[in-house]
Amino acid sequence: MASGTTANDSVPLALDQLSVAYGQRPAVQSLSLTVRPGEIYGLLGSNGAGKTSTIKAIVGLVRPAAGSIRVFGINALRDGPEAKARIGYVPETSMLYEALTPREFLEFVASVRRLDAETATRRLQNYAEAFRLDVELEEPIATLSNGTRQKVLIIAALLHAPPLLVLDEPLNSLDPRSVRIMKDVLLRYVGSGGRGVLFSTHTMEVAEQLCHRVGILDHGVLRGEGTLELLRGRVAAGDASLEEIFLRLTEEDVGVAAAVNSLGDNSV
Amino acid sequence: MSWREAVRVSGVAFTELALQAVFAFRQGNILPPGRSTNLVARAHRRVVQSKAVISFVLAVLALGGAAIIRQKLLHPTILGAIPSGLFEGAVLTGLLSLDVALLWWTGVQMVPTLISSGVLAVLEPLPLDARTLYRVAAILYLRMFDMPALTVLIVTPAAVALALGPLAGLAVLPGAFVAVAYALALSLLTGRFFLRRVQGSRGGGGRAVVRWAYLVLWLVPAFAMFAFITAAPAFFHALSILASQGPSTASTLLASAFPFSFALLPAIASGGAGSTAILSPTGTFALAASLFVYLALAVWSVVWLAGNVRSLLFVPLQPAVALPGTAVKLRPTGNARAVLTKDLRIASRTPGYAFLILLPILDAAALGLLTYATPTPNPVATSLALGAVTTAALLATFFGPAFFAIEVVAFSYGRSLPLPHRSIILGKVALITLMYLIGAGLILGFTLLRLFQPFTFGAFILAELPAVVGAALLELGLLYRWARRRGLAITNLYTGAWFAFVVAIPGLVMAGLPPLLFELSRASGTGFGLPVMAVVALSELALATPVAFGRGVS
Repeated sequence: MASGTTANDSVPLALDQLSVAYGQRPAVQSLSLTVRPGEIYGLLGSNGAGKTSTIKAIVGLVRPAAGSIRVFGINALRDGPEAKARIGYVPETSMLYEALTPREFLEFVASVRRLDAETATRRLQNYAEAFRLDVELEEPIATLSNGTRQKVLIIAALLHAPPLLVLDEPLNSLDPRSVRIMKDVLLRYVGSGGRGVLFSTHTMEVAEQLCHRVGILDHGVLRGEGTLELLRGRVAAGDASLEEIFLRLTEEDVGVAAAVNSLGDNSV
Repeated sequence: MSWREAVRVSGVAFTELALQAVFAFRQGNILPPGRSTNLVARAHRRVVQSKAVISFVLAVLALGGAAIIRQKLLHPTILGAIPSGLFEGAVLTGLLSLDVALLWWTGVQMVPTLISSGVLAVLEPLPLDARTLYRVAAILYLRMFDMPALTVLIVTPAAVALALGPLAGLAVLPGAFVAVAYALALSLLTGRFFLRRVQGSRGGGGRAVVRWAYLVLWLVPAFAMFAFITAAPAFFHALSILASQGPSTASTLLASAFPFSFALLPAIASGGAGSTAILSPTGTFALAASLFVYLALAVWSVVWLAGNVRSLLFVPLQPAVALPGTAVKLRPTGNARAVLTKDLRIASRTPGYAFLILLPILDAAALGLLTYATPTPNPVATSLALGAVTTAALLATFFGPAFFAIEVVAFSYGRSLPLPHRSIILGKVALITLMYLIGAGLILGFTLLRLFQPFTFGAFILAELPAVVGAALLELGLLYRWARRRGLAITNLYTGAWFAFVVAIPGLVMAGLPPLLFELSRASGTGFGLPVMAVVALSELALATPVAFGRGVS
């Protein structure tokens, strides 16, 4: 288990005993983790495991019930704007200003991020070319496909070149080419300058390919954390895939066969 | 499949349409808490209420028109100069024009909702044959207008029958039918235009002009009644001159114009062609020919609607032509200006918000015009103009809190940005101030054409400015504190409509106090009106600023 209690300025993200609750219902319980410089940290979990609640607390959308969040040593709960200025965030659902075009939306984001015109334009043009966005940049977001909206959100998160990326299921709705580009972008991104990425997903294959370390969240509790090798050792399975490790750690492997059998032939 | 099946399916589709129209949750609004059956019932109830209100207005107009005709409610001097048939035709012209305007206004607002709700798109993949889908589309379209259209078709002839007899009541029926047919066809055409060129409009300055022009058009029917009442004396005066000249080319053209031609029919039915005093044999022929053309056009509109309603309702949201991309440039600005620009851009594609911005401005334009047109002595015109500026200030501050509702859309994402609350409030205050200055500027422009007192009016507008800014700061600061304390998404109609109205009250008091003191000072003849006004307005601004930017907000 990571300690995550340091206030070191070089640590992109440190959560310490973080708890999030919705009324009486706990969503995240005493979660501590650290995203180290140059690291892509995968937060894995089933639906409702607490991944999105954790991320929302980090980016200031949910007030935690307890614990602390530090972004490069900045107390995010006390100095929200300073912490947010260092974060690029891709939300799980693309609730955007539907009546704006992507260009207008990104111009708003660039203004809030205090970017100069030249830098903002250059970065937008680079990312738009990479994600093959052209005429879509001038069409209202309401008219765009889910995949294109996701690309807009990713560009908005990367536009100010933040030292910490917090991505909630960022590859959802993306086409295979864009998924590949995104993976390469993330790997190159953390390769320089002490940056960090917190990446939530329930797609084990992606996490296995991309993440330096993973944390497995189940019902708001961190069940395991570390590199793939470390987790294999923990479940005593030398060649297990991340999916198998995940199912064993969350004890969800027990019912899988029975659930499939219960569907019978009618499921086909 | 039968019509019965189409009616059944359209009932389900209409429920979805009502939900979308009332709650707009596909546009990102938050559904209020409660059982789904209650929400559906509430949506249906609100749709019926809205239709009933429009129908009530249409019925009042018809009965009011009939009362004007029966009681001859017009200035005796003008009334004496107009033949009775021409007078009746003129009143019914106004009535039919308002019928078209109000039905079209209903359609302009509701057709985009029907198309963008995707109700029909959901039905397409279902095992329904093409004819049933077409029937469902037609029924849905007609249901948006049912109660108001029936009011025009039933109440208008009944009211005219009460005023001029049963034959005249029957004679107005073709005019009522044509008014409904035109309004329904125009609604579909403008609804499609809205989705393609307004809501689906690409970025760029030229396209923004088209969007705002459409949104002004969207509002103008709402002002039709106001404009008609304002212009009525001049209209009747012109008719009296025309009548004094007897049949002429001008009167023939007038008799051939829609809806005057249809409005003359009841008058002719009750008093004969001679009662109008403007119809020569040529004029009568022109009138008959124009009636035939307008009726043919109305029948063609109905056939066109019937044949195309399904395909026309399936308008892809994408612009018609995909233009090649140009080098996209971003021009970041300061935070508050970014908020202001974002809001204006959103409003330019969202009639609900555009309405809030344009209403005070159009109202100011109408009041300015009234000040210019009213034949009153200078002191009265001065009071009218100053009152108009005050109205612009009050309207701008009254609608201010509603602009926070824009932040509900993408609220989560917006809060993840390092955007200080000060910038959000400043952006909204800038918008309210802009509305006030444009409105006041329009009034000033019209007033200067009549009374050249630039210093008085300019000083009045500037003296009131701090009060408007203060009122906006007070309202938005209170609203922000209230929402923050409750952890709400700032405000939207369902979470905070009542509070948005409540905070408008101190804002209105703040914006209204300096002009009130000015008037009191003027009435007492002290001559210190403007300095008093400026001092009070500045004091109000000083009091309101901590509410918006002080402790407890950030």
